[in-house]
Amino acid sequence: MDTIWRPATSFTLTPHKISVCALIQLYATPSPDTVPFPFSSVSQHNCFAIFLISLIKATDDFVEQSLERLIMQLKAVTGELDMFIAHRLTERLSSLSSADELFNFFAGLQVVFGSNETTNLEDEQISLDTNSILGMFVRRCTLTFNVLSFEGACHLLTNIAAYCDQFSSCSDLSHYYSPIRRTFSVFVVNDSKKEAELLDPEKLRLANYVPDHDPHRLEAGSSAGLLTGTQDCSSFFRIREVQRVPTQAQVPVKPKISSLEDKIEDRMLCQPNEVGTNDTAGHLVLRTNWQVQGFLKEKADLFENKKAFFRLHEFENMLKLLEKLAPELHRVHYLRHLNSLYHEDYINSLDNLRRYFDYSAGLEGIDTSSSSFASNPRDGKYETALLCLGILHCHFGHFNLAMQALTEAVQICHKNSDDFGLACTLAAICDLLSNIGVSSMNGILGSSYCSAIPASLDASLSTQRHLLVLLKQSLERAESLKNARLIAFNRLALAKFDLEQIKRPLLSFGPNASTRLRTCPISVCEELRISPYLLSEFGSDAASLPTDGSFCTSWLKKLEKSGSSSILLDEVGSGCNDDSLSSATEPSVLPNCILQLCGASYLARAASWELYGSSALVRLNALVHAICFADCSSSSDSSLAYVKLVQYLATYKGYQDAFTALSLVEKRFPPLSHLHIQLLRLQLLHEHFIHRGCIKRAQQVCDELGVLVSSASGVDMDLKAEVNLRHARTLLAAKQFDQAASVAHSLFCMCYEFNMQIKVASALLLMAEIHKKAENACTGLPYALASLTYCQSFNLDLLGASATLTLADLWLCLGSVHAKRALSLLHQVLPMILGHGGLELRARANISIAKCYLADSTFSVVEDPNSVLDPLNHATEELEILQYHELATEAFYLTALIYNALGKFEEREAAATSFKKHMLALENPGDQEDSFL
Amino acid sequence: MRRRFRGSDVFSTPSTSMSYVGTPVLVEEEIENDYYLLAKAYFDSREYRRAAHVLRDQTGKKAMFLRGYALYLAGEKRKEEEMIELEGPFGKGTTINCELGGLEQELCMHRKKGSIDPFGLYLYGVVLRDRGCDDLARAVLVESVNGYPWNWNAWSELQSLCTSIDILNNVNVNIKNHWMKDFFFASAYLELKIYGEALKKYELLQGNFSLSDYVQAQIATAQYSLSEFDEAHAIFDDLLKNDPYRVDTMDVYSNVLYAKESCSALSCLAHRVISTDKYRPESCCIIGNYYSLKGLHEKAVIYFRRALRLNRKYLSAWTLMGHEYVEMKNPAAAVDAYRRAVDINVRDYRAWYGLGQTYELMAMPFYALYYYRKSAYLQPTDARMWVALAQCYESGQLNMLDEAIKCYKRAANYNEREGIALSKLAELHDKLGRRDQAAMYYKLDLERMDEEQREGPNVIRALSFLAEHCQSQNKHEEAQIYCTRLLDYTATEKETARNIMGMKTSQSGFPSMEVDQFMP
Repeated sequence: MDTIWRPATSFTLTPHKISVCALIQLYATPSPDTVPFPFSSVSQHNCFAIFLISLIKATDDFVEQSLERLIMQLKAVTGELDMFIAHRLTERLSSLSSADELFNFFAGLQVVFGSNETTNLEDEQISLDTNSILGMFVRRCTLTFNVLSFEGACHLLTNIAAYCDQFSSCSDLSHYYSPIRRTFSVFVVNDSKKEAELLDPEKLRLANYVPDHDPHRLEAGSSAGLLTGTQDCSSFFRIREVQRVPTQAQVPVKPKISSLEDKIEDRMLCQPNEVGTNDTAGHLVLRTNWQVQGFLKEKADLFENKKAFFRLHEFENMLKLLEKLAPELHRVHYLRHLNSLYHEDYINSLDNLRRYFDYSAGLEGIDTSSSSFASNPRDGKYETALLCLGILHCHFGHFNLAMQALTEAVQICHKNSDDFGLACTLAAICDLLSNIGVSSMNGILGSSYCSAIPASLDASLSTQRHLLVLLKQSLERAESLKNARLIAFNRLALAKFDLEQIKRPLLSFGPNASTRLRTCPISVCEELRISPYLLSEFGSDAASLPTDGSFCTSWLKKLEKSGSSSILLDEVGSGCNDDSLSSATEPSVLPNCILQLCGASYLARAASWELYGSSALVRLNALVHAICFADCSSSSDSSLAYVKLVQYLATYKGYQDAFTALSLVEKRFPPLSHLHIQLLRLQLLHEHFIHRGCIKRAQQVCDELGVLVSSASGVDMDLKAEVNLRHARTLLAAKQFDQAASVAHSLFCMCYEFNMQIKVASALLLMAEIHKKAENACTGLPYALASLTYCQSFNLDLLGASATLTLADLWLCLGSVHAKRALSLLHQVLPMILGHGGLELRARANISIAKCYLADSTFSVVEDPNSVLDPLNHATEELEILQYHELATEAFYLTALIYNALGKFEEREAAATSFKKHMLALENPGDQEDSFL
Repeated sequence: MRRRFRGSDVFSTPSTSMSYVGTPVLVEEEIENDYYLLAKAYFDSREYRRAAHVLRDQTGKKAMFLRGYALYLAGEKRKEEEMIELEGPFGKGTTINCELGGLEQELCMHRKKGSIDPFGLYLYGVVLRDRGCDDLARAVLVESVNGYPWNWNAWSELQSLCTSIDILNNVNVNIKNHWMKDFFFASAYLELKIYGEALKKYELLQGNFSLSDYVQAQIATAQYSLSEFDEAHAIFDDLLKNDPYRVDTMDVYSNVLYAKESCSALSCLAHRVISTDKYRPESCCIIGNYYSLKGLHEKAVIYFRRALRLNRKYLSAWTLMGHEYVEMKNPAAAVDAYRRAVDINVRDYRAWYGLGQTYELMAMPFYALYYYRKSAYLQPTDARMWVALAQCYESGQLNMLDEAIKCYKRAANYNEREGIALSKLAELHDKLGRRDQAAMYYKLDLERMDEEQREGPNVIRALSFLAEHCQSQNKHEEAQIYCTRLLDYTATEKETARNIMGMKTSQSGFPSMEVDQFMP
């Protein structure tokens, strides 16, 4: 009825809370000993306390757990004491059969606090501090009971009956606790009907449904563990409970077989979903506000990390149930929005996002503890709605709409003086500008409605400059707000920008203006190093959220995993995890979002080293990310780290290892939902086919890559450039030089147009290669030189080395007089190539060195055979691993020639045989089958 | 009622040109025994469980229905009570009528055996609907109305299950062509906002049932929905003369009076209904409307809230409360109220429109677009929706003038009454430099204003533009006409006219003195 959102603070008494109270009473019974009666040691007593705290705080579900699960957990915590404690608990519960007994129970509960007189006298006596977590819980329950109406007490009693009845019907455990059946026979009626009901297909269908809300199934999948069987059992009985034919009907219904059949027939016409949710909510009891909110928050985080494990309908059913239980909990709509978003359901996603903000004005659930939240709550936080809307449009590739939404968000933030929101929105705009293809942005920035861009910049400036100005502004804002999260994000974005773009002064005229156009690795490094360092200051930040809920959740999960064995015995060495890909269960002290940024900085480092040309550091950083941040990073980030690792394997260890690793990675990140993985497979296949000379298949793969470019989320220009590059390479391998050159030319034009300078360097190098292969060395030289210049100004050392290698080859093609010059060029880049180059590059360098020596008229093979044989042997080894037939034939041919000149005929024959083998393979590419493909 | 109809065949089928099926004749019931009478007495005194208990061993169809219905009502009563008792921190959890399961089983069995009468079927339909089996519920209710067409409750339940025109058409196939069907369809059309069809049906029905207050009220409602406030007013006035203690549909009447801004009539109506029945949602709504019209928005909200307390699904109260919150400058509450209306009935275009309006007021035109689009989709022939959409596009933030022009065009096509569309179209075309089109729309706008005998800045703007435009196109005679009209206005306009005509005279070589001769 309330039309405006109100904080949900009230606390309701549930049977589970009564159980916890009873256990607390057991824990803190005044006793003359160090520990009260059933406990044998202090550590056991303490462990029990942690268990109780976890029960109060855990956020692993939104409905109160069943008595059965509680007793299972008790068994895991207390070991041999479980019989006793469980018996005491059930006895206590079964004694509560009237309102008066409830009253007595709560009156008796006060014992746990001890009396004021005794506390300072008897030092050793156990008594709860009234301000401790457990003490507050007991006080809260007592207070709630004291203000409970009589009707409320009646409902509580009915719920307790249902709670115990559910448990007592589970046969394998009920031998513990005979009192329950006896006492609750008053409430449990119509037992004879149950059997008939169990035959009802409608009710059996519900069995699909109840376990779905079980959080364990939504997570890594494997964690159901020992409880699976019993939980199914409990949910089954939960259904029985709920589905019972009403007691007061007093209708002498005797279901006959025929009537049941009729019912089945009728039911066929019903909508299954609606049946499922209508009645099941019956006796489920909602947890406390903070637990429910915590649960939803955890789920929202999980979406990002492990979206592949969420099934649309399972999660939707859970949300439906939650909505039934708590119609005023609007956060459900937000989760539904996320669910639809990740399942690419645009309409529902949009609808639910708006519904959530319409109902809650953005004030429910979202972290509003930031200092900026000082404005009138009546105004709501609709800028957050716009921000989310922008992100949604971005996700679906509607960049125009995203930009409009974000622009409006900026305006609303200004209007409401919401600095925090403004900083976030600017960051989102930066992200949008830097992540999507440059081409798509050009239209947007020029248009009239993009007023988020400061007016001081006119539309004629390039996207990159807009981005730089925005990034700087955004960083300033974040710094003035002292929000470490945003500062870190902005620094990362700046680093990314520095990595890809040449910085030039925004206004440059006059003779004194600097004209040196270079990227600056030092500034990239600086930004990258500063960003995670800042995160250590998060403690003073608004982002620091209490994490004890998730601690408790994971403690309970660990407990359930340990199963029947006592946790006390299990505690030592339980940390090891046999599945290296699965995440560790220990939650971190740092909030997830902070760790995520931290992890992203390592990925950015890997990317920067990839460009600068240090493979070892790429691998190192990717490994750090994969190992340390697997838990908290989004699935796209972690898949990217694995992609880098697999790429490293392909370049340095050959395709066999790479494909084996890839198939492992594919198991963890299904390629359908991870574009990176899909791309990686195609890239590897393409290179592999090119090396083996399967041109047709290479072209097929290249075409498949081309299809990915036209994805729903806008055209990714980088990817488009890569496809063109690969297309040109395929044509080159097929010796269609004209076509290859024209593709490379158009690629160059495109890259130049969209300011993709790094790709320009590669395109130029490719042109040089084409001319080299076409034996137009003279035409090739300027291209190689231009490429080299680009590489130098961007500090692309490895690409530069490869350009130098091509340059040397081109000189060599011009005649043997240039052999010395070529050799000296090669010697310049040899350290780089041998230190960081992949198998292919090294082999090519080695062959070129040998060719230089052989072309040099002053060099005599007989005098110094090792100068040529060593590089050639290295090259042949490397090429064998790669199965690069074309180059391998060349290397073996040269080797055979040299051995011939040296008069070593045996070696010559061996080389010749290898030559023949590779030649045959090259001529019949279809014959060989890869075991690892 | 039933007896009356059964006795005389004259009433069974009204005389029209339409061919209706004959009225089904029910088999004579068993004699009402003492148990039944006792149970009925208990039932009438609202002791439902007691009534059901008395009938526990009775097997007659009538007894069976009464017992089932009593149980159903007992369950409903308990459900309502529990809903209040169980209100948790996140609102009232959905409670269920605990009798539904048992009733469903029992009625299903009887239906299969054939030992059920149309009333039993009606009850079965209601139970099925509550259990969420809409398809089966529809089928059962159709059976019920075919068996006994005069149970209007069965028809209304059926109507509540026909949420779209497709479902309605499917249901149509199975219903026998009894004249009650016309009532049903008229009402369903009204609910589905197909007002033209509804009005036609009701006017047809009025031929046969000329004295029916109900038909009259429905016609008035349809007229109101078609924005024919004067007609609706007249009918409601008539209705109140015949039936002064009527509360049903009086909320619609209050809306009519609100739209016509007749404060005193609204206050009389409010006074009348409150003395008839204070605790009816309609009464509260009427008072809310009255306060709203008086500008006392806080008080209006109190009464709308009361109406909603009496009926949580009272759609128009949510929407009206949203309007009040907008007036009270509480956009968050307004948005919430509108959203609840939309979630109760997704086809309520007023609430969608309200949502759009609220967000537009909060300076979020882009965000508002979505809601306006929804309202325009639901009410595509309503020019107001298109104007609102166009204004959003036109706003400084979005500045999407081409889209705005498209929307204004639609609005102009649907006879926009306030004349915003035409003048805006002219203005926008002028702004975009399409002077010919601008001139066309200015002309149209001028014609419209002349027809309605309006004066004001719009007329002046149109005249000045047209005069200038004609002049530049060398249509001097036409320009002369506009200039002459401009001369009727104040000094600045005279100056403009003189300038234009001066230009003309200098161009055509006439002495400039000539103009001054015509000056008043």
